[in-house]
Amino acid sequence: MIHKTVFEISQPGQHAYSLPKDYEAFTQFKPDEKLLRKDHIGLPEISELNLTRHFCELAACNVGIDNQFYPLGSCTMKLNPRINEWCASLPGFTRTHPLAPQDTIQGNLQVIVELIDILCKITGMSAGSLLPCAGAQGEYTGIKMIAEYHKKNGDTKRTKVLIPDDAHGTNPATAAMAGFTTVSIRTSSTGNLDIDHLKEMVSDRTAALMLTNPNTLGLFSTNITEIAKVVHEHGGLLYYDGANLNAIMNIVKPASMGFDVMHINLHKTFSTPHGGGGPGSGPVLCNEKLKKYLPIPRVEKIENHYKIIWDDIASIGRICSFHGNFGIYLRAYLYAKLHGHYGLRRIAEHAVLNANYLKALIGKYFTVPFPQPCMHEFVIQADCYLDQGVRAIDIAKRMLDYGVYAPTIYFPLIIKECMLIEPTESESKATLDRFIEIIEKIIDEIKENPELVQRAPFDKCVLRLDEVQAAKHPILKHSLT
Amino acid sequence: MDFISNQKVQIDAMLATLNINSIEKLFDCIPKELLNEKLQEDDGLSESEGMLLMQEIVAKNTFGNLTSYLGAGAYEHHVPALVGFICSKSEFLTSYTPYQAEASQGMLQAIFEFQSAICALTGMDVSNASLYDGATACAEALLMALRLNKDKNKVVIAGSLHPNYRAVVEQFLSSHQTKIEWIPFDNDGKLNLNTAKRLIDENTAAVLLQYPNFLGVIDDIAAVTAHAKSCNVLSVICANPLVYGLYASAKELGADIAVGDTQPFGLPLQYGGPYVGYITCSKELMRQLPGRIVGETVDLEGKRGFVLTLQAREQHIRREKATSNICTNQALAALASLVAILWYGKEGIKKLALTNYQRTAYLKSQLEAVNGIQTMGNAPFFNEFAISFGCSFNEVDAHFRTYGISPGVDLGQYFPQYKGMVLIAVTETKNKKQLDKYIEAAKTLLSQKTKREK
Amino acid sequence: MKFTETHEWIDVKDGVGTVGVTHYAQKELGDIVYVELPKIGSLVKKGQAAAVLESTKAAADVYSPMSGKIIEVNQNLNTNPELVNSSPEKDGWIFKLSLTDVNEFDSLHDKET
Repeated sequence: MIHKTVFEISQPGQHAYSLPKDYEAFTQFKPDEKLLRKDHIGLPEISELNLTRHFCELAACNVGIDNQFYPLGSCTMKLNPRINEWCASLPGFTRTHPLAPQDTIQGNLQVIVELIDILCKITGMSAGSLLPCAGAQGEYTGIKMIAEYHKKNGDTKRTKVLIPDDAHGTNPATAAMAGFTTVSIRTSSTGNLDIDHLKEMVSDRTAALMLTNPNTLGLFSTNITEIAKVVHEHGGLLYYDGANLNAIMNIVKPASMGFDVMHINLHKTFSTPHGGGGPGSGPVLCNEKLKKYLPIPRVEKIENHYKIIWDDIASIGRICSFHGNFGIYLRAYLYAKLHGHYGLRRIAEHAVLNANYLKALIGKYFTVPFPQPCMHEFVIQADCYLDQGVRAIDIAKRMLDYGVYAPTIYFPLIIKECMLIEPTESESKATLDRFIEIIEKIIDEIKENPELVQRAPFDKCVLRLDEVQAAKHPILKHSLT
Repeated sequence: MDFISNQKVQIDAMLATLNINSIEKLFDCIPKELLNEKLQEDDGLSESEGMLLMQEIVAKNTFGNLTSYLGAGAYEHHVPALVGFICSKSEFLTSYTPYQAEASQGMLQAIFEFQSAICALTGMDVSNASLYDGATACAEALLMALRLNKDKNKVVIAGSLHPNYRAVVEQFLSSHQTKIEWIPFDNDGKLNLNTAKRLIDENTAAVLLQYPNFLGVIDDIAAVTAHAKSCNVLSVICANPLVYGLYASAKELGADIAVGDTQPFGLPLQYGGPYVGYITCSKELMRQLPGRIVGETVDLEGKRGFVLTLQAREQHIRREKATSNICTNQALAALASLVAILWYGKEGIKKLALTNYQRTAYLKSQLEAVNGIQTMGNAPFFNEFAISFGCSFNEVDAHFRTYGISPGVDLGQYFPQYKGMVLIAVTETKNKKQLDKYIEAAKTLLSQKTKREK
Repeated sequence: MKFTETHEWIDVKDGVGTVGVTHYAQKELGDIVYVELPKIGSLVKKGQAAAVLESTKAAADVYSPMSGKIIEVNQNLNTNPELVNSSPEKDGWIFKLSLTDVNEFDSLHDKET
């Protein structure tokens, strides 16, 4: 079925809106002619019923965790509990203006202070900020704090940030945005950071090493203390990319591992909904050394009262318009309180159990580059099917036909025909068993009828889409012609 | 409580498959000395206890009891009921970034429509799929302009830009040692055009103006952009998108890049976020846009579909050479803005913008007629203006609170020369009765002040 | 025609070098959807990134095999970037530069590595 865009279903004169009563006292005011818009506004005209139907049709062509198993590695697609949604829609929260007088929003300030406390306890850090609106912005904030630290120490030579070659793209992009040059550190054949290469590349020009542990291959760096020592000895600092916190939450603290500053992805570890790509929230947490550089505004608790600190001369300054994605971290707060630290630890235990179980069952169908036990996610390679003309992307697309969202493919970039699978702790054994059955069916198809896999999917709103055409001849909006 | 599905029966079976007798074994790779101690007591809450907790916390917020005239970059507007309903649908709310395009046509088409709607409002050629907020959108626009003009390292910015946005721009640009020059504004809140023209020269990569500016004033934007064009300088306009329902579009004003925050459409105040940054540009600049972009294409049978496109600009491909480090954006909030924009539609947007202006004009003219109230001047405005009651902001605030009103933002906190001035925003949510109450409160404040002085 | 280790080729004639990428490079990148051409008049050093090739899944820098000043770019690549795939060593040439040091040619490779 072809879905028309909302512009294409526009009907002259139709509308959904209603406006409050007007008065002559208002309408007597005419705006200055010279300022008025002359250009036509190319928006559609559509009734409320047709608008409702349009979006219901679009929803029918989309899937979320509520609908399907979503083993996307690196994304932590766990259940988005509805109680979080209930909480975030309470009018007592949604109606508060970011510049509201402090005595009128003490509830908001309490949530901010208490959530930072909870996150500090989990991570072993001393202080934090909920201002960053996403993980990438958390990374940027942390790296800028590191830059400020070195600057205040008179250490102006530190222009490099070391990043493993299996790191998420936001890491080098963040370092560049913060004014640093990046140095890539190799991953060894065992899947861990090549510490010899690290020792070779670290110097007094190193500002920081950005690392995630477990790494993007789902493996824990057992020698993390040694890695931290190498960097610290040369005067560099350690940044922890908290994307994989789900694997170790309340099992081991990033601060104990030697990290100085980090971010958490609340839309991963703390179940806030992905919303088709956002909004998220990427709180930054740090140790005593870096605490004074945290961005503003901050919130302090003084006896039973909460106070906003609008300015601090040592701070790196502002990183967003107001207080960050409050509506998102409000959800994370309730999620954390429901679990308690006890329940948060169980999350990590079950995330790792589910991943290892799945890996044990799926291993026989693919190349397993790192046979050792994994953490919350693992990597397999579909290169064994290249001879039959089938690639990882084909297998991923065929999974869509079986009602399962495909795992992450071709990331990390260093592994050929890679699939990164993360079941999360939410999923039941039955779902994982069913996933294996689906894999088995697809593997049979590769043998008997490879075209079914090569040209998949067939059961979605569209067949495989031409990405080359989209990039060569970009059509990025509805045109009137 | 937790949301873990597997219980003892399933756990035992899984451990058996793995040939281990406890979950702890799975953490053997972590050095023993780093491990936390296992927790003995369940410190979690049941669902009902969780709800009770949140109700206790939210009860401490008393802001909802006040009629608010706060603006300064976050505006109270009616949020159509349809918005919440659509945004809470499982298929949108709990879906991931639409990288698997065939399974995500719903979200991709919605984003395409968002891009189209923002282009329609601003008059520009291309929009991205959203940035975090208006402040970071300004910063990204300037970084974009600097990439497009690698031989220039200076930008010129209106001194009347939102101070929070200013702070964020300074943050981003400090990493690149970019020189920033600020255009001063006159007492009436309007940019000093002569200084603007002097500062904008061939060494400037871009000029950034706000529309309306932080003081609520409409500047002579076209005069600045025309001068910028003559010096080969890119013009960036940051605007509340509602202004485009009444006043000239960014395109008409000569913008090369138009940015801002779509919060006024479909997003409740939520103590500052999530909001939605938008960034648009003319066709020629498209490849330097940061963030995700959705494009139209066809499938194997020629049927129309949508995909994320021009991805080579982004961090997951370009890494340290990406246009931005942004990955997660404000997708669902952008959907909320889209639904609201469509709910108003072509005609509704115009009527909404007009009534916002007229209600503001009503309050402004009534207050200006009160003896003792001083205005900033006669500059044109849209939905916000500043006045002085001749006393400190704290006095004004305390007095208006007795009427159940939050009178506006303390302008003196941002600009010392405006000490005592209150920045007042009026939207369609204010009816005549409420506006007249504000006027009454103002009159009483002034008459009490006069009495005291006698 | 000589080659670099990073899969570019250069053809020198009368002090002017024509530069493109090899068959191997275009195959690795996949369908080229966009070419970011250098600015005419800009100076490039040997080994400096001068252009960018984009596919849907990757972006690759094109490093100039020799030093010089960009005097011409292949405008056809604006409308037909696929020329880099179909004819990488002929019609898919990317830019021409007037060379500042012809001796640099000697240190390049004779065959594709």
